Amino acid sequence: MTLVRHTAVIARKDLAIEIRGRHALGTLLPFAATLLVAFGFAFGPGREILARVAPGLLWMAVLFSAVIASRRAYQSETEDGALEGLLLAPIDKAAIFLGKATAVTAELLALVIAVLGLVIVLFEMPVGSPVPLVAAFVLGSVGLAVVGSLFGVVAESARTREAIFPMLVLPLVTPVLIAGVRATDLAAAGRTDDALAWLGLLAAFDIVFVSVGILVFGSLMED
Amino acid sequence: MRTLPDPSVRVRDTAVDLRSVTRLFGTVPAVVRVDLSIDRGEAVVLRGPNGAGKSTLLRIVATAISPTFGGGSVLGFDLIADREQIRARCELLTHRTRLYEELTALENVRVFTDLLELEPERADRALERVGLSAEAGERVRGFSSGMRQRVAIARTIARDPDLLLLDEPATALDQAARELVGSVIVDASARGRTVLIATHHDVPDGLHARVVSMRDGRIGAAA
Repeated sequence: MTLVRHTAVIARKDLAIEIRGRHALGTLLPFAATLLVAFGFAFGPGREILARVAPGLLWMAVLFSAVIASRRAYQSETEDGALEGLLLAPIDKAAIFLGKATAVTAELLALVIAVLGLVIVLFEMPVGSPVPLVAAFVLGSVGLAVVGSLFGVVAESARTREAIFPMLVLPLVTPVLIAGVRATDLAAAGRTDDALAWLGLLAAFDIVFVSVGILVFGSLMED
Repeated sequence: MRTLPDPSVRVRDTAVDLRSVTRLFGTVPAVVRVDLSIDRGEAVVLRGPNGAGKSTLLRIVATAISPTFGGGSVLGFDLIADREQIRARCELLTHRTRLYEELTALENVRVFTDLLELEPERADRALERVGLSAEAGERVRGFSSGMRQRVAIARTIARDPDLLLLDEPATALDQAARELVGSVIVDASARGRTVLIATHHDVPDGLHARVVSMRDGRIGAAA
């Protein structure tokens, strides 16, 4: 229960920082919206093509937003040496990892709600089966946030962290991207049963990386 | 017959006991074969020029970094194996305040009282002690460096650690803030807390401290 309480303290702190800094809404949403519109122009005006590629575009927007949100979660820790304060707090360091992942997940889900609405309106993406569609974004956001929170602390120790972080994260989250796009595509087409296998892959990915994070995050933080 | 460990070993009178501690950054030695013993309740001032290794030594005692060679104990706990036990009992205050810009003064202190599971009222009382009650609800983004340092001091007061480690605590502070830092140190020492300070400035009035000099990473003659 202590781990849960400490996780909640970290998540609350990170969300307060993000909401007051208006980073999530002020940066991520315009970024994701611009990305979608730019892709829309690139694919041309054909409605059929746009509806077909909509799940992929949606996930690309979420993926790049996850990279930015995860980096931001550690920037606030390094501006004034706050990360060392957390390191020296006598708590299970897994709480820092879980707290940050929780906050980034919440940001991504808020973003998904806005961006999904945009895609449904602009690209006329169908919503055949809403439940697996929601499940895909919840599980996918957790996966992206967990990997971002885990490797964010690794990148902090590097001088070229801005370049290293995406290089560490993007290859690792490829399964989330593939499974997320496929599950979204199938859910949009109303093929719930077919989407379940991909949702299972997303859930397995989340379980593996949450477990790995809990086990190794403390070691990654230490000198 | 197997001999059980003697629990009294952990309540010895030695607060800090470093043996042949060396710390390298790459191949550059910052601290070289330092032996240092500080009694419980004693106040010690580390003096020396920039680059003498004072800050590194303090960070080793605080368990922020590990010694490359050597070892020792802090408050009866092993420097390497019992890091979390040491962290629960000591606080490192540096010129880096470790504050979150978007949080208020009170929230910044409460993050740590919450993580340490201390009563929330301690944060309010600590801010009152440093003269920031009126500004408790304001974000630290707009604070001067002196006010920020006061918030960091409030965080330390709220914790009331057994071992207080201060790295140039009076740097960039005005006279009033320096006096506040001095009174906090004297008060902690008078209440039997162990204090280790690295500073270029004068020892606070009323503090009876042993002065230890450092140069080129080595402990020099004690004054």
